[in-house]
Amino acid sequence: MSHHDCSGCGLCLLVCPVWHGTRDVRLTPKGRARAIQHGAKREDLAASTAGCTLCGACEPACPEELPLVDMVMELRSGSPFPEAEVRIQGKKKLLLAGRALRAEPDRLARTLALLEGYELAADDGADIVEALEAGTTIADERLAAFLASLALARQVVVAEGLLLRALRRWLADASVRGIGETLLPAISAKLRAGDFYVIASQAFNCDQPRLIGRYDWLRATSGCEMNLDLQRIAMPVAGQARWILEGRRVERIVVEDLAERAAFDFAGKPVLHLAELA
Amino acid sequence: MSIGPDHVAPDALVGIPRQRTNAGRWVADGWSAFRDSLRAQGVGLLEDAATRGIFATDAGGTAYGLPHGVVIARSAAQISSLLKAAQTHAVPVTVRGGGLTTEGESVAYGGVLLDMTGMSNVLEIDERALTVRTQAGIFWSALAERLRRQGLDYLSAPLNLTSSVGGTLGVGGIDVNSPHLGCSADQALALQVVTPTGEIVECSDTENATLFQRVILGYGQFGVITEATLRVRRYQPLRMRYFYYASLRAAIADLQMLDAEEASDYSGILTMMDKAITLLVAFDSDEKEARFERAFLSRLHGAGEFAFAVRTAIFYALRPWRWREALYLYRRKSVLFPEFRRPEFHRGGKMHDRTVVFSRAVWKHWGRRQMVIPDLATSAEKFIEAVERGNEVCRRYFPYYTLYCVGIKLREDHRTHYELSCIPPDARGRAYGCEFEPMLGDAVYSRDTLQSFKNEIYDVGVALGASYYRFGGMMKGYIRRVFGDQLVEHHLTMKRAADPAMILNRDVVF
Repeated sequence: MSHHDCSGCGLCLLVCPVWHGTRDVRLTPKGRARAIQHGAKREDLAASTAGCTLCGACEPACPEELPLVDMVMELRSGSPFPEAEVRIQGKKKLLLAGRALRAEPDRLARTLALLEGYELAADDGADIVEALEAGTTIADERLAAFLASLALARQVVVAEGLLLRALRRWLADASVRGIGETLLPAISAKLRAGDFYVIASQAFNCDQPRLIGRYDWLRATSGCEMNLDLQRIAMPVAGQARWILEGRRVERIVVEDLAERAAFDFAGKPVLHLAELA
Repeated sequence: MSIGPDHVAPDALVGIPRQRTNAGRWVADGWSAFRDSLRAQGVGLLEDAATRGIFATDAGGTAYGLPHGVVIARSAAQISSLLKAAQTHAVPVTVRGGGLTTEGESVAYGGVLLDMTGMSNVLEIDERALTVRTQAGIFWSALAERLRRQGLDYLSAPLNLTSSVGGTLGVGGIDVNSPHLGCSADQALALQVVTPTGEIVECSDTENATLFQRVILGYGQFGVITEATLRVRRYQPLRMRYFYYASLRAAIADLQMLDAEEASDYSGILTMMDKAITLLVAFDSDEKEARFERAFLSRLHGAGEFAFAVRTAIFYALRPWRWREALYLYRRKSVLFPEFRRPEFHRGGKMHDRTVVFSRAVWKHWGRRQMVIPDLATSAEKFIEAVERGNEVCRRYFPYYTLYCVGIKLREDHRTHYELSCIPPDARGRAYGCEFEPMLGDAVYSRDTLQSFKNEIYDVGVALGASYYRFGGMMKGYIRRVFGDQLVEHHLTMKRAADPAMILNRDVVF
């Protein structure tokens, strides 16, 4: 699958935060694909690929099921997405907390307490996340060492959405899930009408066909609103928190991703991390 | 470049001369002075090849042309400056919304491509008056997204999430509720328009009415729609029912009966094959559905899903040599039915966000880089003959194809809007449209074949005195044949008066 398979429907524009912020089709998956179909080279698209937030909302929108995030990362790095395979040999449960959660020890402790039986991974691959985002090379030895540290884990919970996406591929034999999905059973009874629940878009959108049923059920049973658009795709917060709340009556905001909490400060409403709900 | 090598050949064209199909490229006289003029006024003009390449074709993927430059619309004032400079320097300006045309209407064969999606903000929602004011480059889906937060919805819009409001108002806009609510263009209460000479004008049925009449359903000839005030309604999920037919004639008769009786809120026909035709009927309210069950259900000739499946299985069991057809039907059903019944869009037996459901299915199962969708629009009386003749053309060209039929309720007070448009001149009360879409699959067809197919469908329209939803661009050679010289000359005279340099969407109609 490549940019040449894009039919140009433009459904990706509807969910693209860069599109919402700029209304400039050049900075969208459709714009990149159309440009490449008509002769553009990687260097012609440097500004477009650099501007992509890698939120992954475009992937479940794409009727051609193009791997659009991989395609952006390849345009950035100039090389294919790094492939690796790990044979799982243990039964551990690991939490890869990521930068935002590690920076808040209280909330990290609360999250770990809710994740019964999980250990905090010593190496949560923060440098690998940065390399994936920036399109820089990940040394083979470093990637191998990181994955070896996970080889004893049968279940892995990952806070960083981009790493979650990569680990679902690299750890094919393990259960790799996001924090939101894992804690849903613990917090679902605490949500209520008037809450606005902010799904971590990277984690959700890379597995949207499987997850949509769970979140739709949560929305229906609790009466809360969510950052799901009409296509049932999680709208990323970056740069569009005001748009996400526009026209809604919200009493409380609950975020899955701690890094997105500050984006809602403008609303003047309580903003909680989902671990604080339980 | 990925433009196919197989250009339309003159000998492939039935009925219209070669020069009427693809527009000639503008020769760029005056481009430098025009560019300088725009820069002096601070209008951003993008001339790099990568940007221009984005707009090289439309959703049809059979017409190709590169603009010399692209302007992303940002305001009416900016568009005014652009059009004034374009008049001065005689530079063509092609306006594009979602780019979902299929005949090259939104492809620029040189000159400027004006990308209206840069103006995509909702400006004001009036919940009491049930109206919305929006910038016209907005996609219907984005408008619905914003309206939904206040429990509102648009009236009718194309079953395509990335159609733009402005583009749709210029050509029509058909939904499965159009038999009852009319086309999208009839929702518009007022417009802000930038005329081809750069004046920014507010117009409606009561203010600058002549301009309003020409811009609505005007194929972009008389101005650029920059803002629109539209009627909206309270949002309702709908209850969808499907009936299956083996006869196109019976399905159309039932569709027209239901429409005439206002028996449902939504209705339309979608075929998988000549032997598998679906009549969809839907309701906004339980009361309306109860009335349908009481008074109309027994009058329908279609079967339920199970009964139809049994009947079809017996039909093919008795005709084993048609196993390929049966297999196609089975496979098509297996992928399409779940798509229309995805659980996240259904709750309590009701479908939410029909446009999302239909649009995603359309792109997933019908969309590809090349799409050919000729259509016919006729009066109610002529519709069955038009569909049967069009279907016969499909059968001769392609093994599999889809027909999509829907009615359009007309407004007698908008008859002046309908002049030289997709609404057939002899239609009263309701018009009907049918799209004929071959399932191209992985097969490779020459452009000669595709063009000949379209011409044969359009020839049916000429013979019947019909109209077309897509009569511009590559098919504009049919405009004089179907509407006559007198009406076309009348509109051409108005166009010349409004657009002296003939710069605005010049390759679409005239």
